[in-house]
Amino acid sequence: MTVLYDIKGVSKRFSIGTRFSAQGRRTVHAVDDVSLSIMLGETLGLVGESGCGKSTLARCLARLYDISDGSLVFDGSDISHLNARQMRPHRRKMQMVFQDPYASLNPRRRVADLIAEPLRIHLNLTESQVQARVAQLLEQVGLLPDHAQRYPHEFSGGQRQRIGIARAIALEPRMVILDEPVSALDVSVQAQIVNLLADLQDRLKLTYLFVAHDLSVVRQVSTRIAVMYLGSLVEIGAADQIFAAPAHPYTQALISAVPKPVYADGVARNRIILAGDVPSPLNPPSGCRFHTRCPVAQQKCRTDRPALVQHRDGRSVACHYPLVAPPG
Amino acid sequence: MILQVRDLKVSFRTEQGVVRAIDGVSFDVRTGEVLGIAGESGSGKTVTLLAVMGLITDPNAIIEGSIQYRGRELVGMPARDMRDLRGREIAMIFQDPMTALTPVYTIGWQIVEQIRAHQSISKKAAWARAVELLAEVNIPKPDEAAHRYPHQLSGGMRQRAVIAMALSCNPALLVADEPTTALDVTVQAQILDLLRKLQKIHGSAIVFITHDLGVMAELADRIMVMYAGRIVERSDKADILANPRHPYTRALLDSIPPLDGPRPHRLRTISGAPPSLLSLPAGCSFAPRCPQRFDACVAKPALTGSGHATACFLAVP
Repeated sequence: MTVLYDIKGVSKRFSIGTRFSAQGRRTVHAVDDVSLSIMLGETLGLVGESGCGKSTLARCLARLYDISDGSLVFDGSDISHLNARQMRPHRRKMQMVFQDPYASLNPRRRVADLIAEPLRIHLNLTESQVQARVAQLLEQVGLLPDHAQRYPHEFSGGQRQRIGIARAIALEPRMVILDEPVSALDVSVQAQIVNLLADLQDRLKLTYLFVAHDLSVVRQVSTRIAVMYLGSLVEIGAADQIFAAPAHPYTQALISAVPKPVYADGVARNRIILAGDVPSPLNPPSGCRFHTRCPVAQQKCRTDRPALVQHRDGRSVACHYPLVAPPG
Repeated sequence: MILQVRDLKVSFRTEQGVVRAIDGVSFDVRTGEVLGIAGESGSGKTVTLLAVMGLITDPNAIIEGSIQYRGRELVGMPARDMRDLRGREIAMIFQDPMTALTPVYTIGWQIVEQIRAHQSISKKAAWARAVELLAEVNIPKPDEAAHRYPHQLSGGMRQRAVIAMALSCNPALLVADEPTTALDVTVQAQILDLLRKLQKIHGSAIVFITHDLGVMAELADRIMVMYAGRIVERSDKADILANPRHPYTRALLDSIPPLDGPRPHRLRTISGAPPSLLSLPAGCSFAPRCPQRFDACVAKPALTGSGHATACFLAVP
C-alpha cells in the first residue's frame, strides 16, 4: 500500500485571550503531536467528541491552518509550510467538503457558477468546456441539468451537500477531506450521501479523510479509524478491528455509549458510562490525558504519558494497559 | 391518562400561503409513561410539543383541535392560566441548555426563581431545595455549583441544571425537545441514564422528541413516528423497533448504518426528500417516496389499529 499523505508530529496551538484578560495570554494545544499516514484509496475515519481536535487536524491537513510543529508530506511533496500561492498546485489534488451545506455555498451565486469556480481558477478551459464539465459533475452527484441555473436556497440540505461534493470533485482531486459531511442531514438523506460518497470513491479512485462524531456512519464508510481525545490520537486501526475489539478504554467507552436503535429489553447492555466531562484543552491532565475519566486508570497513568505504540495486529494504541494485549 | 390530544391541527399563515405544520394528530400520554416522538425535520414533532406547552404565540398560527391535560382544555386557555400550569405541572427541557438559561444569573438563582414562582417558600428554603436538586441530577459539589454562572459549566452540566430546574416543582408531565442532541455521545449516555433514573423516582410522564432512533430505543416506552405533520405509526417500543409496519418507519430504521455485524455494501435509502408543507401530496404524504405505493395511496390513510396503529393501506393489522 502506498502512503498518500504522511503526517508526522503535527501540532496546532492557538493563542487565546490578551495580555489584559484575567489569565493573560494562554495557549490551547488543539492538536498535540499527531502522526499518521493516509493510504492511497482508503477512507480514514477520524472520530472523537467535540473539542478533541478532529476538525482542527482536518483543517491543518487541508492547510487551511498553518501548523505549529511537525511535517506534512502530501503525494511526495512537503507542504508543511507552503504559503497560499505555493499551495495552489497542491489544492487541485486535495479538496474539502464542509459540514454545513447552508453556510458553505455563496447564496448569491448560481449552482453552475459555484461548481465552475474551481474549474475557472485552476484550469484553462473554454466556456463551453466549463459548461460541459459542470453538466457532467451535476449528473455524477445525482442532480438534474436544470438545477444548474438555480440558487442554493432553492435546494434541500441533502441537495446542497451534493453541490458541495460536486465542487470538491470538480478538479479530480486525489484526496477529499470531509468534515462532518452528513451530520447536518436527516437520517434518510444521510444514507443517500453516504452511498454517493462510496460510489464516487470507486469511480474516481478517491482517498477520503472522513471526520465525524457519528460512529455508525464512520464504521460504515471507513477502511481504518483514528480516535482522538484532547488533541491526541489514542487509537488507530482497521475499522472492523476497532469496533469488534477496541484496545483503548476510551474507544471502548465511546463505542459502547452509542445508543442502538434496536429493541433490547431484558438483555443487559454492558454500557460503560464515563464519569465527568472532557477536561479543558487549556489545562489538560498530566500523564495520560484520559486518566481522569478512565475506568481502569492506575498510578502510572497519572504521571507517564503513553506513546502511540504499534501492536502486532496492525493497530496503534496509546495506553499503558490496553484492553486487548499486544499479541505475541 | 394525563394528556389527551385529539385531532390537533396547527397551521401558519405565511406569504407563500398557509403552511399546515400538523395535520390532525391524536394521541394519549398515560400517567408515568415515556412517549417518544420520532421524525425528521419538518415532520411536525417540535410544533406538536410547543402546542402542548402552549408556546405557539405566533399571531399567524391557527391552532385547532383539543389538548386536554388532566381534563383541562389547553387549546385557548388564557395565557395566565397556562403560565401557572407550565413549570408547576408541565415542565420543559430544551435542546440547547445555553439558550434555556439566562447568562446573567447564577444557576442557583435561576432555580430559586423557578421554585418561588410557583410555591410560597422563603428564599433560604428555596436555595436549599435548589442545592438538593443539583445534587439529585449528579452535579458534583452542588453547593458550589449553585453559585456558578451557566458559562462556567460544561454542556453536560448545563443540561443537568436545566433538568434540575424542570424537576423543581415535581411536574406530572415533562416535555423534552431533543434533550441530548447537543451533547457528546459519552455525556449523552450519562444524561439518558439520569433521565431514566429520575423518571422512575418521580414517576413523571415524559414526552420527548428526537431524530435519533438510538436515543428513542434507550428512553421511550411507546414510540410515535411522524411524517409531514401526521402520525404514521404508533406503538410500544418493541413493536416499532422490531416489527415496524409503516414503509416509512421501516425505511428509516434501514437507513441507519449498523453498529455491529457485517457492514452492508450500500445503505438502503429513501429516495427524494420530505415534501414541502406548502404543497403536500393529496393522499398519503409518504406516497411519492414510498417503494410500495399503489392505487389506493391517492387517498389519505387513517391511523388505524388500537395497540399498534399504522396509517398505511398496506398495514392491515
